[in-house]
Amino acid sequence: MKPRYNLILAAAASACIAACASAPKSNEELETARAVVPQIEASPRAGVAATNIAEARKALDRANQLAEKNGKDEDIKFEATVASRNAQIANEKILSAMARDEVDKGTAERQTVLAEARAHEAQRNAQQAQTAEERAKALERELADLKGKKTDRGVVVTLGDVLFDTGKATLKPGAYATVERLAAVLKEDASRKVLIEGHTDNVGSDEYNQGLSERRAQSVQAALFERGVEASQISTVGKGETTPVASNDDAAGRQQNRRVELVFQEDRSKVASDTG
Amino acid sequence: MNSSITRLAGPLVLAGLLAGCSGVSDLTKERVARSETSVQQAQQTVGNSEQGALELQRAKENLDAARKAIKDGKEQPADRYAQLAQLDAELAVSKSQSAAARKAADEVLASIKTLRQEAERPSTSTDSQPRTTEDK
Repeated sequence: MKPRYNLILAAAASACIAACASAPKSNEELETARAVVPQIEASPRAGVAATNIAEARKALDRANQLAEKNGKDEDIKFEATVASRNAQIANEKILSAMARDEVDKGTAERQTVLAEARAHEAQRNAQQAQTAEERAKALERELADLKGKKTDRGVVVTLGDVLFDTGKATLKPGAYATVERLAAVLKEDASRKVLIEGHTDNVGSDEYNQGLSERRAQSVQAALFERGVEASQISTVGKGETTPVASNDDAAGRQQNRRVELVFQEDRSKVASDTG
Repeated sequence: MNSSITRLAGPLVLAGLLAGCSGVSDLTKERVARSETSVQQAQQTVGNSEQGALELQRAKENLDAARKAIKDGKEQPADRYAQLAQLDAELAVSKSQSAAARKAADEVLASIKTLRQEAERPSTSTDSQPRTTEDK
């Protein structure tokens, strides 16, 4: 039933075309207006250009009426042109409105992306902080076999009196394995800094003890240099008998006080302040 | 506005006068004058930019044709050319404005794209500050 209806329509249309063919040549402006006006009327944003769209429709209706009544070609052309121009203006207004919507939406989205970027940066900073923490822990682990102790000054490794000849600054061969390990730890990460502190017991003059503590600290430093540690990683200080860790009243306590301490720190400024 | 008085009184008074007169009505002359103003404004909006230049040119041509029609005492052509000049001037302005709006939208979209790329970029160096914060 439907196909037959379409056939009838087609027949009617062809009849119309045949009739029209004999009429004055079809107006190009009118064809354009007939195409563009309904298009712009169907736009979802037609509301922003309602006046122009209404003007376009009125002009197109006038043009159509003139065409029906075999009006003058120039009159049809004029009305059709007015219709087309209004439709074009409406189109540009709609495009403007859509672009402004995009700007608004984009500005809001930009804020979101900015917030995301800041969150990302914060996360990155947190990761860096975590890395520093992990580095400190790794250092502690590596120094664990050297009996490194974590203190508020950093990780401290103590070289006992038995590693030095009595009253001398020379390292005994028994210290070499330890020094090798210390050098390896420092060479592994050039940002690691160590402060070498020499200490003595209270036997002998202050002056002598000060000198001995300095020489012993420098002796360890020289051993580390020989094994390829950068000079910038090491600083030394002699503390003499000023900082005992045990009583000087008995032999065992005095032996504990005769020592060299290596203070490992990540932060150079703290090492520097300790030397002062 | 005195134009509204003219608009009401004009046709009544002038209808008789015009019957034998070859001159163009004040109403049409006014319309041409308004179009002239619109074309001048369009010229300022469009400036030297490409968008709307063609329509502005067409508006000027229609305006010239309207002036010529006034000189020749042709009422209807003067009125129609003035209307077309008016429409083309409006179209030139709206084209220029929509091009500017499009440009602004494209810039925002491009800046978002750049921001996204920077935000999603894996952290390579610790000293790289995100450029994103400075243009806020």
